[in-house]
Amino acid sequence: MTSTDTRPAGVTGDRARPRTAARPGRRGPLARARGGLPTLVFLAPMLIVFGAFSWLPIGRAVVMSFQRTNLVADPVWVGFANFQQVFADPQLWTAVQNTAYFAVLALLFGYPIPLVAAILMSEVRRFRGLFSALAYLPVVVPPVVAVLLWKLFYDAGEDGVFNTVLGWAGLGPYAWLQDADIVMPSLVLEATWAAAGGTVIIYLAALTGVDPSLYEAAEIDGAGVWRKLWHITLPQLRGILLVTFILQIIGTAQVFLEPFLFTDGGPANRTLTLLLLIYRYAFTNSLGGDYGAAAALSLLLALVLTAFSVLYFRLTRSWSGS
Amino acid sequence: MLTSRKAAAALTAALTAAGLTACSDDEPDDGRTHITVTIDAGLEQDAIDAFNTRIEQFEDANPDIAVETQEYTWTAGTFTAQLAGGTLPDVFVVPFTDGRGLIERGQIADIGDLTAALPYREDYNPNIAAAGEDPEGDMWAIPISAYGQGLHYNRTLFEAAGLDPDAPPTTWAEIRAAAATISEETGEAGYAVMTNDNTGGWILTTVVNALGGRTDDGTAATIDTPQMREALADLQAMRWDDASMGDNFLYDWGTINQEFASGRIGMYVSGGGNYGNLFTQNALNPDDYGLTVLPLADSPDAGVLGGGTLSAVSPNAEAAEQDAAVKWIDFYYMEKLTVQEAAVADAEVKAETGQPVGAPELPVFDKATYDEVQTWIAEYVNVPVDQMAPYTSQVFDQPLLNEPVHATQEVYAVLDTVVQTVLTEEDADVDALLAQAQADAQAAIDAAA
Amino acid sequence: MNATGRSSAADRGLLAPTDRKRPSVRWSTRLAHGALLAVLAVAGLGPMLWLLKAATTPTQDTLRTPMSLWPNGFDFANLVEAWTRVEIDKYFLNTIALAAGSWAVQLLVAATGGYALAVLRPRLGRLISGAVLATLFVPSVVLLVPLYLTVLDPPLIGTSMLNTFWAVWLPAGASAFNVLLMQRFFANLPREIFEAARVDGAGPYRLFWSIVLPMSRPIIGVVSVFAVIASWKDFLWPMLVLPDPDLQPLSVRLPILQQFVELDVFLAALAISSLIPIALFLVFQRMFLSGASLGGAVKG
Repeated sequence: MTSTDTRPAGVTGDRARPRTAARPGRRGPLARARGGLPTLVFLAPMLIVFGAFSWLPIGRAVVMSFQRTNLVADPVWVGFANFQQVFADPQLWTAVQNTAYFAVLALLFGYPIPLVAAILMSEVRRFRGLFSALAYLPVVVPPVVAVLLWKLFYDAGEDGVFNTVLGWAGLGPYAWLQDADIVMPSLVLEATWAAAGGTVIIYLAALTGVDPSLYEAAEIDGAGVWRKLWHITLPQLRGILLVTFILQIIGTAQVFLEPFLFTDGGPANRTLTLLLLIYRYAFTNSLGGDYGAAAALSLLLALVLTAFSVLYFRLTRSWSGS
Repeated sequence: MLTSRKAAAALTAALTAAGLTACSDDEPDDGRTHITVTIDAGLEQDAIDAFNTRIEQFEDANPDIAVETQEYTWTAGTFTAQLAGGTLPDVFVVPFTDGRGLIERGQIADIGDLTAALPYREDYNPNIAAAGEDPEGDMWAIPISAYGQGLHYNRTLFEAAGLDPDAPPTTWAEIRAAAATISEETGEAGYAVMTNDNTGGWILTTVVNALGGRTDDGTAATIDTPQMREALADLQAMRWDDASMGDNFLYDWGTINQEFASGRIGMYVSGGGNYGNLFTQNALNPDDYGLTVLPLADSPDAGVLGGGTLSAVSPNAEAAEQDAAVKWIDFYYMEKLTVQEAAVADAEVKAETGQPVGAPELPVFDKATYDEVQTWIAEYVNVPVDQMAPYTSQVFDQPLLNEPVHATQEVYAVLDTVVQTVLTEEDADVDALLAQAQADAQAAIDAAA
Repeated sequence: MNATGRSSAADRGLLAPTDRKRPSVRWSTRLAHGALLAVLAVAGLGPMLWLLKAATTPTQDTLRTPMSLWPNGFDFANLVEAWTRVEIDKYFLNTIALAAGSWAVQLLVAATGGYALAVLRPRLGRLISGAVLATLFVPSVVLLVPLYLTVLDPPLIGTSMLNTFWAVWLPAGASAFNVLLMQRFFANLPREIFEAARVDGAGPYRLFWSIVLPMSRPIIGVVSVFAVIASWKDFLWPMLVLPDPDLQPLSVRLPILQQFVELDVFLAALAISSLIPIALFLVFQRMFLSGASLGGAVKG
């Protein structure tokens, strides 16, 4: 164990260890401090916060999924009963379907559109800042404000905002959130509006980083705009496209705010997503919270997402060169 | 460098202080018993002033008790967590439906001894007292009000539609006709129902009861009954054939009150005492308001679903605090039901601050006591009693039914889905819906057993 | 590639200068850009402008003719009422307090942790780094319930943290993303400066405070922007751990307010709630956008 200088820095400095600086080595310049008190002091906040609020809860989630807890009495071990209960719940299947529907719709709307917009924006000569600011503005609006505002827009009466505007074009009043068939697309529309701007900016940054010499070489070979797009731009973006894809999947699989605030899972559970179901298990059960079932379902969802991510990275590693 | 260190330390200290002051407050040591009592959320300043005045009167009469208010609305899901986290007020109110479950699980304080000493303990209407008693008959939660369901209607819309506001509908067919007329003539929703947050099932159960049916027979769920089908058929007819229910259907208790108060709903079913909330929290124009009884079918089983409010004490309260809490409940909630001075004082304060006095209720004790109280406060009554006459003159003759006892909220949640589907899917398969609801409701009852 | 080629190459993207000269390309590009600008303006600005308009319009007008412009004149009373009677100012301050605390905790944890891992390099550094990285792959849903129970009954501390700001501040610090950002940044700092500082007699604390931190302004800026934005957007967690209405931030309070506030005042409250983030964005646009794109670059 190296001797540690426990006197505060700035008082004594490191007078005692001039030779360390001259020593060549694999270890960092403050080799003496490895494992010493200063290191511990610096590691402490992270270790405490992560320990108490990240690592421990993850472990606790696993434990809780095998217990029945009601906060007053001691938890009771019930083995796989929570998982069985979750699988036997008819609402589980509904939630899985709805969540998958949301994720697919969100991909359809929210994946290509930002790309197209970013590609267009990357060719803007002047006022690109204006484009960026306009695109990013919905991202800055607090999500709760956005949802409540859109809830108003989606008023199903003739005098609802959207219905009025569509009425100018002669399109009939739609029931939006009151119609079981278009309620989920309505939610996805708002979610895309709120999030697309961030994706646009990410793509834009990647696009401006594409090496122009690649384009030049292609032009020498006589490539037109579309061919350059297809053979250079998109492949160059491949890395970022793959990452945003998986991030979007993971994010939309855990959607909570929109179903909760727009329709509370309705009408008739058509917008009940997995997160909302977990929330209901834990926090709206009149018997006082079925925390075990909530933990069990959370774990299941996490396992599925993790497995999906691992599979995804394996598959895409063979596709992307880098 | 030292200055920045000091700044960092100061910042940390400030944040800590801010964090700690947001913590539960330590009770000051002044020899008095401190209790926190609940006050409704979102009250206008007048109502808050009225409440504070009553607190002052209480503290004058009980110098060894200090009362603080805490804005709190009882919600089923977070209750246990707040109990475990110690953030409940000492005195809070819960609806009848939830009271029984709380008592069973021992999640409120056992104040049986304290309530037994109350002078009016034996005077309760037995049905109503039962809502707050444990199986041995000790009263753990004190019923402070009771109501029966009624049909609220908007007189102004009635007039605008050419209907007579003093002759509200007396049968379900008339309700349907009136709804159609209102929506045709005024463009507003003629009839609306709550559908969300377990209220859909609550109202559906209400209508089924009024038609003479039940949603359980005491042990098992009985969802698929002729009365249930009739209720759903009515809804479907109004929604899809008459288009008299407007365009929005995701209502819960608060939002339907809001819509009604702003004049966009012609009629809806809810608790008979809603006038208070409509007026104080939703700015209802009193001239718009009308109340009548639910039409009951010509069947011996038809009845009006009743409900009420219990006042309970947090199990975290110490003995002295429990004692103080019961005194407060007695003073604020109960005295005005039995003691003339208190009734008058309460009515006076409310009237002065513009709060409604005299909104319809059902007697917690017996009709005679209730009538007596009404005469005491007669001069302060500021609600449009004439407009509520169709209700007050008939509701006491209607048989009063209690809410289902088993897995009440869970069954309501199942029925929520039924109502929402019927209202949002034009060709809803009622057979399949009811079969599914029957299975789900039975599963819920089994799980709660 | 000669010098001239470089300067014109830096100026171009997909479209070559020769492409731009062709009329078909030029006009179709202009059309596309015009259309895009129109769509962005309507989609981006439209809802917010409508909100501003509706915030100063009486309820009945908003309900009956939502797209008309002030048929009965302005109604500034809405904004005043939202601020005073509905007490938006209180919730606003709560939001700011939550954001400030979360920011401080996140910065503290990420900076000290990143520094320790990247510069001090303890023996178990790789293990710790791995454990932190692993949490990135755990979807946040897993943490919801056990974290809630941890807040109710924290280890070592006697009382529950429910209804205290700490319940929001502390868990916010457990962001592996921040730690990784800081760690990478510190690892990329030139080692010679550290060596020089050490020779001058600086210990680890001095090195952190006087050398590393001042050099890390860009990454601190990025992490700060992320932290504040994330805190402002947070909804579910504050809703769970702050049931006391006096402590709730705007995001939690606004949906509840809708229940008992008139529409016009409510819209005024919404407008006020979005003004600050939007104003911050307009002022600090560059930092926001560079942070957003940096996030993408780091993730990629």
